[in-house]
Amino acid sequence: MISKEELFQGARAREVVAIFAFTLIACAAMALDKAHGVPIYIVSLLIVGAAISFLKKDNVRIAGLLAIVLLSLFSIGFNGVKFGIDFSGGVRIPVLLEKPVDSTTMEEMVSTIKTRAASFGLTEVKVRPIGDSEIYVELPQSNPQLVKDVENLLSQQGVYLGVVDGKVAVKGDDIYSGNIVRVQSQYLRGADWGVSFSVTQAGAQRFATVAKGKANYPLYMFLDRPTNAIIVINDSLLAPSTKTVVPLSKSRALEIARSAMRLEGDDMPVYLESELSRNFSIAPDENKTKAIVQSGSPLIPQLRAAGFVVVEKSKEDMALDFSFSAESSVSDAVVSWKAAGLLSAPRLVASVTEGIPSFSYSITGPAQGDSAQERAKDALRKEKELESLLKGGALPVQINLGSKTVVPAPLGEEFLRLSLIGMAFALLVVSLVVALRYRHLQIILPMICISMAEIIIMMAVLGSFTIDLSAMAGMLAAIGVSVDAQIIVTDELLKKDEDVKKKLDKAFGIITTSVLIAVIAMLPLMLLSGLVEVIGFATATVLGPLLGLFISRPAYGAIVERLF
Amino acid sequence: MEVPNLYKGNYKLLIIVPLLLVAISLFYIPQIKKGVDFKGGTLVTMQTAEGVDAAALSQALAEKGYPVSSVKSLQNPKGYEVEVEIERDDSLTRAEGLKTSFFEKIDEVSRYESDVQTTNQSAEAIAKYAEGRQEVDGYADELFAIALLQKNASRHQSTNDLKNAVSATYRMILDGYSEKLSATLSELVPYESASFNEVSASLSEKFLEKAMNVVIYSTILVSIAVFLIFRTAVPSLAVLVGAACDVIIAMGAMGLFGIPLTLASFAALLMLVGFSLDTDVLLTMRVIKRREGTPRERAYDAMKTGATMSMALLVSFICLFILASLTHINTYYEISAVAIAGLLADLVATWLLNAVIVLYYLENGGSTGEAQKPFLSSIFSG
Repeated sequence: MISKEELFQGARAREVVAIFAFTLIACAAMALDKAHGVPIYIVSLLIVGAAISFLKKDNVRIAGLLAIVLLSLFSIGFNGVKFGIDFSGGVRIPVLLEKPVDSTTMEEMVSTIKTRAASFGLTEVKVRPIGDSEIYVELPQSNPQLVKDVENLLSQQGVYLGVVDGKVAVKGDDIYSGNIVRVQSQYLRGADWGVSFSVTQAGAQRFATVAKGKANYPLYMFLDRPTNAIIVINDSLLAPSTKTVVPLSKSRALEIARSAMRLEGDDMPVYLESELSRNFSIAPDENKTKAIVQSGSPLIPQLRAAGFVVVEKSKEDMALDFSFSAESSVSDAVVSWKAAGLLSAPRLVASVTEGIPSFSYSITGPAQGDSAQERAKDALRKEKELESLLKGGALPVQINLGSKTVVPAPLGEEFLRLSLIGMAFALLVVSLVVALRYRHLQIILPMICISMAEIIIMMAVLGSFTIDLSAMAGMLAAIGVSVDAQIIVTDELLKKDEDVKKKLDKAFGIITTSVLIAVIAMLPLMLLSGLVEVIGFATATVLGPLLGLFISRPAYGAIVERLF
Repeated sequence: MEVPNLYKGNYKLLIIVPLLLVAISLFYIPQIKKGVDFKGGTLVTMQTAEGVDAAALSQALAEKGYPVSSVKSLQNPKGYEVEVEIERDDSLTRAEGLKTSFFEKIDEVSRYESDVQTTNQSAEAIAKYAEGRQEVDGYADELFAIALLQKNASRHQSTNDLKNAVSATYRMILDGYSEKLSATLSELVPYESASFNEVSASLSEKFLEKAMNVVIYSTILVSIAVFLIFRTAVPSLAVLVGAACDVIIAMGAMGLFGIPLTLASFAALLMLVGFSLDTDVLLTMRVIKRREGTPRERAYDAMKTGATMSMALLVSFICLFILASLTHINTYYEISAVAIAGLLADLVATWLLNAVIVLYYLENGGSTGEAQKPFLSSIFSG
């Protein structure tokens, strides 16, 4: 048995004090910096795990396990446990890419889908990449209309619209999508990036007419510009931004915003919250039925009462980005305003405003960044954004919609409740099996405690990402797996001969080998396949043995070797 | 819980049991049903107040043009859950293929179209455009025909128009199919709520292809690892044979008890490889790399440990199985059923097959491979 003295000495060792001090700091960091809670947790987990593996001291092993359990409990408390729609209810639509893509293309696709979803007011939509050839689009509620909207959004292209001075200059249908290309560097003439495109005959005519005499005017480029809408903004959004060289007055900013929203036949009137709360005098008329407003705005009830369909947008989407110059006031522009679908606003150069139809155009611009490398990266990003915008938000690879999963929220909660009960029950029954076999409390108790510790750790680790049905099944299985290795250790120690250390060595030899093989058997499924439906399960079945090997088995060995 | 030492008498006869089981399993394996994941089709899950007559529903659906591969009616706390699996619709598969071919080609054609303009209607550009356009028009017309629309692709002036028409038509075909299906179902079954799980042809093919890749990679990696660890042919082969036998019996059980092959049960089979090797490695290490007692005693000793391990795993999967029968969550059901079958099979495969091979090998002149330190163990343990 471990004597009190040994316990006391072990606890006072430098390494142990260091581990606990580190744990406390990590917990405090998680509590203070909630935005980075998950990375902090994972990194500290790895650090303590490494300490256990390399220091190879019994007190460190036990202290390390305690520290990791503590970290995990804190992570569950502060970072929370994320459940998939199987447990929280909702709809999941997998988007399958025709071919695997690299990580930059993947990011680009995710952000394109997000942008388009946001421009439809579908802000609750979660978009996350899965492996290299799949994207999950998840909705927190199973409203059939909403699901349909998202499916349409994914399967159809967006509508591109280029507006000059309140008139449509370029329509998406005018542009040949096959001919939108990046401008090669030798033709850039001083700019950092450029995208060229060609238009149809009708398009060329339209552009020539509309842009005539509008040199230096901004070409407002919209993707899925809301129709029949008004937009209500918080006054603070017009506050002078630090980016502009010359301070922009609030009234001038509002003037620019209003002019950006002008469009013949479908103006989008811009209202200030302060104006409306003083004197609410607007009502939807025949063709102004939607009101775009920042979510949480105090005016929402009033707008609803007045009969508007309220479209709530996040603060980021409502933010306006101005470009402003002292020389010519016609070129002042809002360069991006996601809530209104406005994504870019290049200025027209004089040569395209002479009224002569031309079939090809190019948009060029400067890149930002401190180093040449950063600037090149920024240029590439801007080119890709523009390319995607001109293509109507088209994704760079072909996609197909996968099988949709619908889980009503109450059912999901019931699943979760039953699954947690099932897990507790499994722990109980497994304990019973162990108890029947060994019949010694000193062996049974540590075994069960360590199994529980492992479940807590897995819950925190998997819950930092997403626990779906398959991950839950994997966690349940892990209860059995986690006692398995402890059974090997115990049986080895129960043997009469040799000294304890040697017996432990042998036991760990067997465990290491079998963990290695179990992990190897599962790795291809986890890493290569991209079969998301079961990746949670694969992760749980790999994580369980690994946690055991590096963290809990050494601690269990340290505890029970003193019993023999 | 004392079990007599199996290996005392003529242990070689024990091998009959696993061989017999493998033979029976090989007979049942072809009967494994592929789930929607691998076969493609539509799985409709409905919540109803009353149970339905599965055979009648199946026939009624078939008469309306929906070939049904299975109907299940299960009781749950809220009434009944009816699961209907409808086979893949050929025209949907075709439409998906057409759409893909169309979009693969259309950007190129759009480029030719703009070339016609920028080159001032050069004959070469016009010919190129006409040729490309003919191909995409072909795809589009066939798609329009599936949607029962007029075949008028060539009348769309620009490729942009044609593209819009094709996207809209494809969407219409998909929507039309699920709308018609749910309308038909609501006529036949008074359901309270329903969810549709559609797996298209390309998706199921992709699943199958990925699953095959995973099997190949896992097999190769595991074999390499086993040979590296044991470094002698017979024990390594014994371990692998034990695992293969386990998986074969588990698959036989899938065929016998009608557990469908889905992504979940596929993952469970892979997990079984790990579990099965767990006990195989325990046995082989204890018997071959140790020297206390006789090999038969060591084997018996290992069996006590291994059986306890299998029991612990078995009870946790039985819990999952009970949970599955309460919630009717297919993922739980498939994983737990496969795991239970596999763990039972593992008892047979490890202790009646693998053990026999290893003992026979040792007692007939095989080397005990000296008690060398197992691979990698020096890194992980003190």
